[in-house]
Amino acid sequence: MLRSHFLNLALFSLLVSIFFAFLTQTTGRKQVRVMLVMGGSMIVLSLIVAYVMYPFPLPR
Amino acid sequence: MTETTLEPPADPIVRPRVNAIAPCLLAWLVPGLGHAWLGRRGRAVAFFLVVLATFVLGIASGGASPVISGQRPLTYLAVVDNLAMGPFDFIARRMTIGELVYRLPDSESDPRRLEIMSRVRDRVRIPTYEYGSTFLLTAGLMNILLILDAFDIASGRKD
Repeated sequence: MLRSHFLNLALFSLLVSIFFAFLTQTTGRKQVRVMLVMGGSMIVLSLIVAYVMYPFPLPR
Repeated sequence: MTETTLEPPADPIVRPRVNAIAPCLLAWLVPGLGHAWLGRRGRAVAFFLVVLATFVLGIASGGASPVISGQRPLTYLAVVDNLAMGPFDFIARRMTIGELVYRLPDSESDPRRLEIMSRVRDRVRIPTYEYGSTFLLTAGLMNILLILDAFDIASGRKD
């Protein structure tokens, strides 16, 4: 069981990006490109959203 | 003056059309099997491994198969999504809830409802339950896309 938020995020991004790379592209080079761009974007954008949300705590 | 000759237009790509029901059904039974049946063996193996990894992570992280509750309409969508995993949904339901149950009894005092809710609560208490359920739902969504992709390939809309 993975308790790290970041590791879960990275694994999820990796699996989803591999899936879409194979679904949308047929050649190896293009698949790798889609995988890197999509996986990287998911991780970076999630970190940005998390950083922006940081000053807003959940109501108690 | 040079002579220009007009080349005849190239023949449009004719993609063979096959019966679309069989690959869709196979894709529903096992992720990637529809693509293997259509001759896309490499992609089929990749799809199978990715969807299986997502599914296994969902179970291992404490995710639970959703159960339809009349008060929460979105649970209908979640159940349909998980059903797209075919027999894997039965396995997930057995492993997470303990039996093949899809709907909570409507009566709040029904002992059967309380029993199912208690099993679901046991899963919810696992710290990574939210991650696990998200992985399970994603595996279902992936297989829906695979079924549609197999349909497109079989009907000649996609290579």
